[in-house]
Amino acid sequence: MNDPLLIPREDLKKTLAAALSRGGDFAELFLEHRVYNSIYMEEDILKETSETIVIGAGVRVLVRDQTGYGYTNDLAPDKLVKAALTAAAIASTRPRAKVLPPRERHGPRRRVAETARPAHRAALARKIALVKEAYDAARGFDPRIKKVKAGFSDSLQRILIINSEGLLIRDERPMTKLTCLAIAEKNGLREYGYWGGGGRVGLEYFRDVMTPRTAGEEAAREALLLLEAVDAPAGEMPVVLSPGHSGVLIHEAVGHLLEADFNRKKTSIFWNKMGRRVGTEQVTIYDDPTIPAYRGSYDVDDEGTVPRRTLLIERGVVRGLLQDRLSARLMKRPPTGHGRRQDYSHWPIPRMANTYIDRGEYDPEEILRSVSKGFYVARLQGGQVEDSGKFTFSVSLGYLIEGGRLTAPVKQATLIGSNIEVLGRLEKVGADLEFGLQTGTCGKEGQEAPVADGCPTMKITRMTVGGRT
Amino acid sequence: MSGQRGPDDLRLLAERLVELARRAGADEVEVGVGEGTEFNVDVRLGRVENLVEAGSRVLGLRVVKDKRTATASSSDLSWQTLSRLVRNAVRRAELANRDEFAGLAPLSATHVDPLALNLHDPEIRTLDAATKVRLALETERVARADKRITNSHGASFITNEAWTMLANSNGFRGEYEQTYCGLGVSLQAGGTDDRVEDSWFSSKRRFRELASPEEIARTAVARTVRQLKPRKVATQRVPVIFEPTQTAWLLGFLFSCANGVAVYQRASFLADKLGQRIGNERVTVIDDALLPGGLGSRPFDSDGLPSGRHVVVENGVLRNFLCNIYAARKLGLPSTGSADGTGVSPANFFLQPGTRTPGEIIASTKRGLLLVRTLGHGLNSITGDISRGAFGLWIEDGEIAFPVSEVTICGNLGELLETVEDVGNDLEFYGAIAGPTVKVAEMTVAGA
Repeated sequence: MNDPLLIPREDLKKTLAAALSRGGDFAELFLEHRVYNSIYMEEDILKETSETIVIGAGVRVLVRDQTGYGYTNDLAPDKLVKAALTAAAIASTRPRAKVLPPRERHGPRRRVAETARPAHRAALARKIALVKEAYDAARGFDPRIKKVKAGFSDSLQRILIINSEGLLIRDERPMTKLTCLAIAEKNGLREYGYWGGGGRVGLEYFRDVMTPRTAGEEAAREALLLLEAVDAPAGEMPVVLSPGHSGVLIHEAVGHLLEADFNRKKTSIFWNKMGRRVGTEQVTIYDDPTIPAYRGSYDVDDEGTVPRRTLLIERGVVRGLLQDRLSARLMKRPPTGHGRRQDYSHWPIPRMANTYIDRGEYDPEEILRSVSKGFYVARLQGGQVEDSGKFTFSVSLGYLIEGGRLTAPVKQATLIGSNIEVLGRLEKVGADLEFGLQTGTCGKEGQEAPVADGCPTMKITRMTVGGRT
Repeated sequence: MSGQRGPDDLRLLAERLVELARRAGADEVEVGVGEGTEFNVDVRLGRVENLVEAGSRVLGLRVVKDKRTATASSSDLSWQTLSRLVRNAVRRAELANRDEFAGLAPLSATHVDPLALNLHDPEIRTLDAATKVRLALETERVARADKRITNSHGASFITNEAWTMLANSNGFRGEYEQTYCGLGVSLQAGGTDDRVEDSWFSSKRRFRELASPEEIARTAVARTVRQLKPRKVATQRVPVIFEPTQTAWLLGFLFSCANGVAVYQRASFLADKLGQRIGNERVTVIDDALLPGGLGSRPFDSDGLPSGRHVVVENGVLRNFLCNIYAARKLGLPSTGSADGTGVSPANFFLQPGTRTPGEIIASTKRGLLLVRTLGHGLNSITGDISRGAFGLWIEDGEIAFPVSEVTICGNLGELLETVEDVGNDLEFYGAIAGPTVKVAEMTVAGA
């Protein structure tokens, strides 16, 4: 089959020239070809498989802080030029940047993807076997497990970026994901549990790192635990966060509001706090797109920048922002390689990749023992934040802490707080840094991006738990 | 239609793919094609920030062979790619398990005239970019003229025009055009460390029906500044009044529980409750795909079945689950023509309004929370549990006393529906899911 991304360099240059035909500081063409496969099992049968092909090109023109954008599904030279002329509409009669001759760059030698057995090349039957293994493990775990849904997906995204500054870079980004959801029923009561894994990995991951069996059993175990769970308490109390899963808190409370666009626009509560203390000495936060195999990782971002681990908060003091090219230029800072986009139909914006709070010194057991009465967050589902720093996250499974020990399991509750207040109450950080499930997706301005987040066991002296009793 | 191929080519393409799939061994095949154009302008602080214009197409297909299903979709509409996808799909179908409920919907004798639904406004195509930019600029300008507004996320004007067609091997052929336009602004008030924010928008199928920049800006400003200087209240159980925007998400949650797919999967707390009382007599919920000009209106669903009007809850009794053909077969119920891709989506899903004004409902509340905004997800359709971050206005003795923030609301949808105390007369469609002001007897508000 012809490779749709093999477009003569002359046509790429013509597209950039058209993009800058009305002026502008910068023009860029992003070409994408993605193949996505999925398998879905429920009700004891392999119900459906699907194959999706995404092809498209997006052209961007920047004039200072203004963006013009056009996109198309048709990669014929005249259609690319048409999209470029649409993007050019943002500019008018300013002196325009020159299109520099492209020089092909290569991403880092050490690639983030670890795919000994790439999923997109594996036989469908092999992937179906993984789904069945997860399904059967959950279904057979306990007679109270009544329904199971299991799925597997893999994708291979290939991109080509060329810009008016002479950058030309290609990348190939594999991704896999296996998930299992189990529903337990007892006396008319129903609850569900969820588990999964994946990342920029091949099929060997599901043998060496997380087996489908684990996904099925963990999902079933959570659903069964919730059948016995009590209602969450309501009000302010000490909160202890489990390692790994609770990384969502850092993602919401800190990560989003240190994305450069919100700070450049002064809408984020952090915009005037660079170099200032916003949390306890315990709080050191990084975002690292270069962690091998992780779901949030990439070799180059969606505007061709090679990313690096970025320090956001150091011992409670704000040290850095997640930059894309536009914000970096306007703020006169170096880009950090966090310009990401969902696909060709969107322009890149600053996004998180793999965000985590660094390990501390405390023994996790000791942290738990220091709480006589409080709430333990075991598993989370996601959260949301607004620019004022108010954020929530949803706990799917928690425990009561009584006398320094976990007692009754607790069902769904939302926790709410203001980020700077909560960071100031982050009293103890454990030495047990872990990452959560490699299945997460983050949404911002209508664009989805795969992410991961992590944290050690942590104690917050006081936070509002939104239970009902 | 301003597409790159034009609908004639796309119709022909769909026909050829149906034929090809049949020849390749599929018993049944369905091909859907969408083509659309998008325009979007974002302005911020009086200048254009982003300007987007584009056209896109996508084709989706489903094949069934020996009651085994495979699906595919592509934005590459070259014959080479599509014919390979079709052959792959037929081969992949053989790897799925036999499913006696699989298969296309039979051809229906009923036909809904798309033109009668008033889904398409030809004026939208004629709007020039300058007009659209001006509307967005004007909306933000009016809003920022208010001194209490300290920053802006910007204003946006969006238009979409789309053409949808569906062809299947049972002989169904259908197509329709639709338009959408939206204008909105998102604001901040207060200083960096005591900031509040909110937004307002108008979205319609017809340009002339869109609210004016002044009206949108005024509403956005009022919604934002009323939250200034909030307090956190003590944890307590109080009545909660949902503003229409909040009733809308509550109804969206009810939809996800009345969704036939969730029901056969037993992923809904309503799964065993068809025909039973799930709320009090004040609760009547309708899904009407035939509302002229409705944002959720459509002549047929993605199974090729005609749309209709369905009572979901009637005076508190659960009357219908919303089903695609597959969920309908699984549940032994008729399809409600709600298929959307591989799942189910609401058409115009709304709560029947009552008679009292929102003002009267507030005045009759001794103490409670008027809910104006929520943060986070916290909805569990399997249990009906609700737990979300909340922003609101505290009510004391029938009057708004002060804004509240950083609290959560917690309850259960089943309990809320049973304890609806009042339904307002202020039903207006801001989207496909809509409801008037609703007061429920009690929820836990967790705060200090």
